[in-house]
Amino acid sequence: MEPLTWTGELGDILDPLLGIATLALAVTTVFAILASFVTPTPRITVNPDGTAAMAEGLPGLVGRAQQNALYALIGTLVAYIVGGIALGWQGAGIIGGMMRAFTPVWLSLVALFAASIWFKRSLGLYGKLFDSTIGMIGFGLVMFWVFTAIFGGVFDMIYTSDPLNQVSGMKNEPPGSPLTEDGGYPFYLLGGDTLARDVFARMVAGSTIVIVIAPFATLFAFMVGITLGLPAGYYGGKLDTVLSFLANLILAFPVILLFYLLVTPEIVQTGLPAYMAMVLFLAPLVFMGVLIWSRYRTQPNRAWLLLALVLTPMALVYLSVINADDTPIDFWPLDFFNIPGGILVVFVSVVFVNSPTVFRIVRGLTLDIKTRDYVAAAQTRGETPWYIMLWEILPNARGPLIVDFCLRIGYTTILLGTLGFFGLGLPPESPDWGSTINEGRKLLSIYPHPAIAPALALLSLVLGLNLLADGLREESLRD
Amino acid sequence: MKQNPDYDGPILEIDRLSISFFTRLREIPAVMDFSVSVQPGEAVGLVGESGCGKSTVALGVMQDLGVNGRIVGGTIKFKGRDLAEMSQAELRDIRGNEIAMIYQEPMASLNPAMKIGKQLMEVPILHDGADEQAAYDMALQTVTDVKLPDPARILDAYPHQLSGGQQQRIVIAMALMSKPSLLILDEPTTALDVTVEAGIVELVKELGVKYGTSMLFISHNLGLVLETCDRVCVMYSGEAVEDGAIAEVFDRMRHPYTQALFRSIPLPSANKTARPLVAIPGNFPLPHERPPGCNFGPRCDYFEAGRCDAQPIPMRDAGPGHNSRCVRFEEIDWDAPPEASDKPPAPAPGAPVLKVSNLKKYYEVAANALTGGGEARVVKANETIDFEARESETLAIVGESGCGKSTLAKMLMGLETATDGTITLGNEEIQDKPIEDRGPSQVSDVQMVFQNPFDTLNPSMTVGRQITRALEVFDYGNSDDDRRQRMLQLLDLVKLPREFADRMPRQLSGGQKQRVGIARAFAGDAKIVVADEPVSALDVSVQAAVTDLLMEIQREHKTTLLFISHDLSIVRYLSDRIMVMYLGHVVELGTTEEVFAPPYHPYTEALLSAVPIADTHVVKKQIVLEGDIPSAMNPPPGCPFQTRCRWKEKVPGALCETEVPPMRNFDGHQIKCHLSEEDFASMEPVIQIAAE
Repeated sequence: MEPLTWTGELGDILDPLLGIATLALAVTTVFAILASFVTPTPRITVNPDGTAAMAEGLPGLVGRAQQNALYALIGTLVAYIVGGIALGWQGAGIIGGMMRAFTPVWLSLVALFAASIWFKRSLGLYGKLFDSTIGMIGFGLVMFWVFTAIFGGVFDMIYTSDPLNQVSGMKNEPPGSPLTEDGGYPFYLLGGDTLARDVFARMVAGSTIVIVIAPFATLFAFMVGITLGLPAGYYGGKLDTVLSFLANLILAFPVILLFYLLVTPEIVQTGLPAYMAMVLFLAPLVFMGVLIWSRYRTQPNRAWLLLALVLTPMALVYLSVINADDTPIDFWPLDFFNIPGGILVVFVSVVFVNSPTVFRIVRGLTLDIKTRDYVAAAQTRGETPWYIMLWEILPNARGPLIVDFCLRIGYTTILLGTLGFFGLGLPPESPDWGSTINEGRKLLSIYPHPAIAPALALLSLVLGLNLLADGLREESLRD
Repeated sequence: MKQNPDYDGPILEIDRLSISFFTRLREIPAVMDFSVSVQPGEAVGLVGESGCGKSTVALGVMQDLGVNGRIVGGTIKFKGRDLAEMSQAELRDIRGNEIAMIYQEPMASLNPAMKIGKQLMEVPILHDGADEQAAYDMALQTVTDVKLPDPARILDAYPHQLSGGQQQRIVIAMALMSKPSLLILDEPTTALDVTVEAGIVELVKELGVKYGTSMLFISHNLGLVLETCDRVCVMYSGEAVEDGAIAEVFDRMRHPYTQALFRSIPLPSANKTARPLVAIPGNFPLPHERPPGCNFGPRCDYFEAGRCDAQPIPMRDAGPGHNSRCVRFEEIDWDAPPEASDKPPAPAPGAPVLKVSNLKKYYEVAANALTGGGEARVVKANETIDFEARESETLAIVGESGCGKSTLAKMLMGLETATDGTITLGNEEIQDKPIEDRGPSQVSDVQMVFQNPFDTLNPSMTVGRQITRALEVFDYGNSDDDRRQRMLQLLDLVKLPREFADRMPRQLSGGQKQRVGIARAFAGDAKIVVADEPVSALDVSVQAAVTDLLMEIQREHKTTLLFISHDLSIVRYLSDRIMVMYLGHVVELGTTEEVFAPPYHPYTEALLSAVPIADTHVVKKQIVLEGDIPSAMNPPPGCPFQTRCRWKEKVPGALCETEVPPMRNFDGHQIKCHLSEEDFASMEPVIQIAAE
């Protein structure tokens, strides 16, 4: 079979269109910037129906041209997607093949957006996100990878071939190369890597790992940061001084060195990572326990029931997680599963890097919110300090925390890549994006494609998270 | 440079001004058909509740309406020239030079990183091209004019080194530096204490005479306008509803809104049983939901369908220089007394429920927070407080910020423990019991209503949930259903619809939030409710309703109300006894009549004189206190008030400076002062109601 071109026959029509649209957008944007320098501030006129309108002038004209160029560009891109889904690799080349592979993702995205926009007035902050273009783009990018992770990792609906399977003769083949063997997907859409594995398949499989680990690790960092930040801000005094000093100490420590220390065999033998994990994974249990008890302390029966319901499964999971063979902690008979040591390292380092910053944010917000009258009201009716911290203060600090959470998942994703790049964290054959980039780097000047595909994926996810955080911040400030 | 120095027409002429703000959804008219003119040397007051458009008028005069605000009709003429036709450069020249503005928050008007002198000197250097030495001399002169002590030192200080009152004086000085023709004051004293406010008002009046400046005085406080202005314009929902000379509008009002406003504020003639305050029913209309015809129609007692809501109502002549925007003002009997109340008289105070004796609270402030080392300093927040509160009695605690009233409240609530002395609640001493050690019933016995309605409710919990939580903590009922029933009853009690249980606090107005706060405080049938300025942040018309509600519940539940306030008008209206505090000391304690009549403690005398009263019949003695409240960290020796007392010379020797005065007892009326019996006897009443 012939190798595939990037856009196939569809490209004969769409490629020139894409070029024209991009050029038009670039030219109009430059014009718009120039026009804003020379023209005076626009005059606002009042329409009879009581709305105000900006007077049309040179800027208005350029602005409209710019908008049309943008629509044309978006239209062309959508045509690639729709054409690709319809024609597949047979008619639309590599792009077509990938677009068709992502069909379930596209359908889910369309369904999600349609439903969200339809019901956006009754969905609170999430609904308001759909008033902001930036937020929608960010949310779209993030959800693309989330759906890819779900359909690729859970239902196995996306792929193509096994990400670990090596096919002889496919080593470092360029994108669109036909497979030398029969059976399975007939092409390596994004080429093969140095071990003759499918780059596209590895990118899709890597998304599952990233999407599962990054939010979880960030969540742990938040739990630790919140659990320490709330009392530091609420009580103040010596406790605050000590905790803030510790946070500064960790922030001042070279992180990379810390990562290396954590995986050094001598350190692993002392069981330090295992002990650290023991403390770390206890945080959610403590958090949930205090949360429930402080709320229901006046009704002990209900409190005990809820605590049992929530904490028993959590405790089982916790014990299974911290118990592992060949580590100092190995006492629990019902050890359902083991977390690979690498992932433990990932969690510990993510928490170490992120929780001091989260601590500072939470502490600052707490200092502000504890002066409010509703906190005083809670104090005067004899609430416990932890009730006040978790139920009166924390919910009102949620806005900045949600935004920071989004941004921090982005950082964690990059950190995951960094760790993978250093060969720490996940096992070497793992298809996660960081490790893949690291592997591809060795032959970057000759065969760039094995590194570029996961790098672009990582870029788009982090960009999406940042845009999403921006949109959330913007919309949460509006009424 | 000044324009038209020889111009002698009206300084400011606003003619049928309409201002709108444009949003993505609709036009929001903020000011409609507003006319006023300010003559040279005249002070015009602009009165109205929040959201009525009075500040928008000021911004319109400054031509500073932002991106989405626009003048959609009418003209603003300054010294005969239309401001809308001026270029940006001309406007810049006028702002700050010929029209100066003073805002509510003084700290926000001063640059915190620049010395006072430098900021003042900028004005003549920028507008008149003065050289540095001339500018400095001018700054020194103006600071002396605003009566700040030691002007040279003040010029060398940073804004944060001055007190709020001093900062506001600097802002006024800065406004006066360029000798403006028009001064716009936007609530200039709202953020200040009463006695400081009195000083500023006095200063503004004097300077108006001295510099011949015209003034536009924006305020929600009718009493303050009475004291400062020659003419007044009352605004409601974007329109001027009545304007005219002060005496004319205050005594011969010709608009129902003005009348309702006067009936809802506690004037000396009001009385909680015989002539209670009348709240204005309903709510202020949102700008885009104004009714047709008269904006005040839906809340008006004299509303007549078909006439009041038929067409826009123009301003009409109601006497010489007096206009009213009411179609029916000729038909209304303006002298008819308000309907007599049928409220049962308050029950007589019963047995004492709370006894406080010799209570002290000292705080130790370590010099170094990290190690706790250094020399510890003692802040004496409360000194030897003695009082008693009886069942179903209202005891008012009056004093300015920093007098220790909040510390007292905290000790009662159990948030702080006493350094010395006793608090007896029922039969138990609770001064050493922090709130964690008090049982649910003891906690629910003493509850609190807070000041700021926007802060008193947790914004992320429904109203019902917040009340139910209080019931849970107070161990009320056995099941969720019990508590829900009780919560709904509490909403009935504070006259809120039951649907509010599922609303979020942001969907409620300020007055409604305050009602929920009251419901929460009474959730456990509190015996003592500490109300910390519960109405001071609310609009006048809502204040009356909330005050009324509080008293009604008190009457029913025989609650003891400790009413903390700095507003003596409202205190006079609702309290049975008054306790005046200054710098941690109780300086005077007696029944309301006793405190409001001589003999006075010198501080009470000053406080009474400082409170603006919106009644032209009231004649007040002018007593303006010099200086500021001393810091509690470093209180003066002897009598706490001696640094500002005007009676000090009457006491022989240096007794005031060396010895804390004893509590003197005049048949239950207690005064902490060294003055002799003769001096007390020579005191004249501060507030007198002139004969008609």
